[in-house]
Amino acid sequence: MSADLSTQSPDGHAFRLADALLRASGGTTAYLQMPTAPGDAGDTGQLGLDAPNFQPLPLSPVILRRMRRVMTEGQPQEYELLVSGSAVSAAVGAMQVASADLLFQMAAGVVVAGELFLIESVALSEAMGAVYVYRLLLRESGSGWQMQAGN
Amino acid sequence: MQNAKDTFYITLRDRLTAVNPERTMTLRGVVRPGILVEEAEAPAAQLPLDAFVLRWTKLTADAQMPSALASMTCEIHYATAGTRDNLGLDRGRALEAMDDELLRMLCPASTVKMNYTQTPAAQMSTSIFWSQAVFAAEATTRERVGRVVTVEVFAFQEQGEL
Repeated sequence: MSADLSTQSPDGHAFRLADALLRASGGTTAYLQMPTAPGDAGDTGQLGLDAPNFQPLPLSPVILRRMRRVMTEGQPQEYELLVSGSAVSAAVGAMQVASADLLFQMAAGVVVAGELFLIESVALSEAMGAVYVYRLLLRESGSGWQMQAGN
Repeated sequence: MQNAKDTFYITLRDRLTAVNPERTMTLRGVVRPGILVEEAEAPAAQLPLDAFVLRWTKLTADAQMPSALASMTCEIHYATAGTRDNLGLDRGRALEAMDDELLRMLCPASTVKMNYTQTPAAQMSTSIFWSQAVFAAEATTRERVGRVVTVEVFAFQEQGEL
């Protein structure tokens, strides 16, 4: 076994292609609901007494689409959110977190077009070691809250 | 009942800090002891690893006594995938360590009830107490091993208490 030592020149074409495809397919903005920094470290914050004051973190371009599956009574609809890798990379830098995984773990949900969704799982596609698109499996929130764009 | 639930959580959290100060997690941007109340946090697809998660389930009230005695069932969920250094091959040992920590956190099985809606928290007139822990069988899901421990928490309902 040996490593592949052939020359590769990462020029970001996968990022540009993914962003162009997402925009051309009706790309919009999603808002991750992120905890404020510094967070609430008090007892009341851990007991659900204080408002957590989540702040919206915009990600763009993204595409939201409904998953094709047989709907089951009482089960919320599943959606797929395709997110630009460059947008996630910028968000990771802005939030000063170690990884995109941690970013999505910290999010209390994601708002698209005023609807709140819960993140069920995250998958990714990469080229030359760089992630150019994230695929988030979302579940419609059962709360029925109408969120305003950006919060 | 809410005061009893709050007191139970804060008691276990403070005892965890003494039992194993290194069991911490980062949640909502804060590093805190590795224990949380599920209903007081954002919903998650999977419970966090290496942390204790309190889930309140059943509630019964005995009104035959001078003060109503509430009995609440608390499920304590925890799971681990072991450590990165051992590539998870120590997950059985890590789970056993959590079993041991939980047993120590649950002793002694009573504490004075507190009201955390006030600042600072106010001591109440009665105590809460709880049963012996019932450990369910170890459950394995791919690289995760976990367990559910059930504890019955009892509290007298005081005058004017929610």
